[in-house]
Amino acid sequence: MAAAVRRLLKELQDIQNDPSEEIVFLAPIDDESILRWRAVLRGPRDSPYEGGRFELHISVPEQYPIRPPTLTFVTPVCHPNVHFETGEICLDILKSQWSPAWTLTSTCLAIQVLLANPEPSSPLNCDAANLLRCGDVMGYRSLVGLYTRMYALPQEHLQ
Amino acid sequence: MADMDVDTPPHDSSTPAPAPAPAPVVAKPTPKPAQPGSAAGKTACPRIEIKKWNAVALWSWDMESDVCAICRNNNMELCIECQADQDAKVNDNCNIAWGICNHAFHFHCISRWLKNRNSCPLDNREWEYQKYGH
Repeated sequence: MAAAVRRLLKELQDIQNDPSEEIVFLAPIDDESILRWRAVLRGPRDSPYEGGRFELHISVPEQYPIRPPTLTFVTPVCHPNVHFETGEICLDILKSQWSPAWTLTSTCLAIQVLLANPEPSSPLNCDAANLLRCGDVMGYRSLVGLYTRMYALPQEHLQ
Repeated sequence: MADMDVDTPPHDSSTPAPAPAPAPVVAKPTPKPAQPGSAAGKTACPRIEIKKWNAVALWSWDMESDVCAICRNNNMELCIECQADQDAKVNDNCNIAWGICNHAFHFHCISRWLKNRNSCPLDNREWEYQKYGH
């Protein structure tokens, strides 16, 4: 427990000293617990998510960094590896391939990379995955773009 | 035009002539004060005498990164657990451990991780200890 808190405090300090351009916001939700964080990612350039702001909730276990944090999208995201309703993310580094060398910042960046590089073979959103599996990239991009405009356009509280 | 051409060569020849003249003038005064100075130094000023000198050496671990990727504390410091519990006896054993991949972590940190998965946190290869200790 103490180790997790101390490492998170270090990470928070690093974020404040060297903020990432791609991560609009990354900090604990409130002063009560350092184990619950909120993140806002920029939609990756040259992807149908471009221009969007995507909010995530991060829950850090007491065994962190030995155990991975749990990240879920709060902003609805249309993506083969993201559950549209729960915001659950299917990404190996969040599960079997987790390493304690990852930080909350690098994990957020990995999720941003996932947005631009979907993996349709392990889908949580079959509709989005099927478009890609059929090779309908144009259909996929226009569907994602529609949802990005519907749910992820920058709002005041996400900036 | 013809006058100009004729005028310039005498100017050229005259300019190098005065140039060497000031040079020795400048050169002369410098040796003069130096000679009496050094002569006085031999008699009046005592030579510098070294009474004591302190050598300072710095050392660091010969490895790629100074920070333990697991706890993010410097490898030369205690690991994050031992740092929180300064009085504990285990602090004496808070050493560094190297894998065969040459990645180093606090022994406490890497052993906590290896209970989870037997791989190096930095390159994901199977972990095998190479050396341990200071």
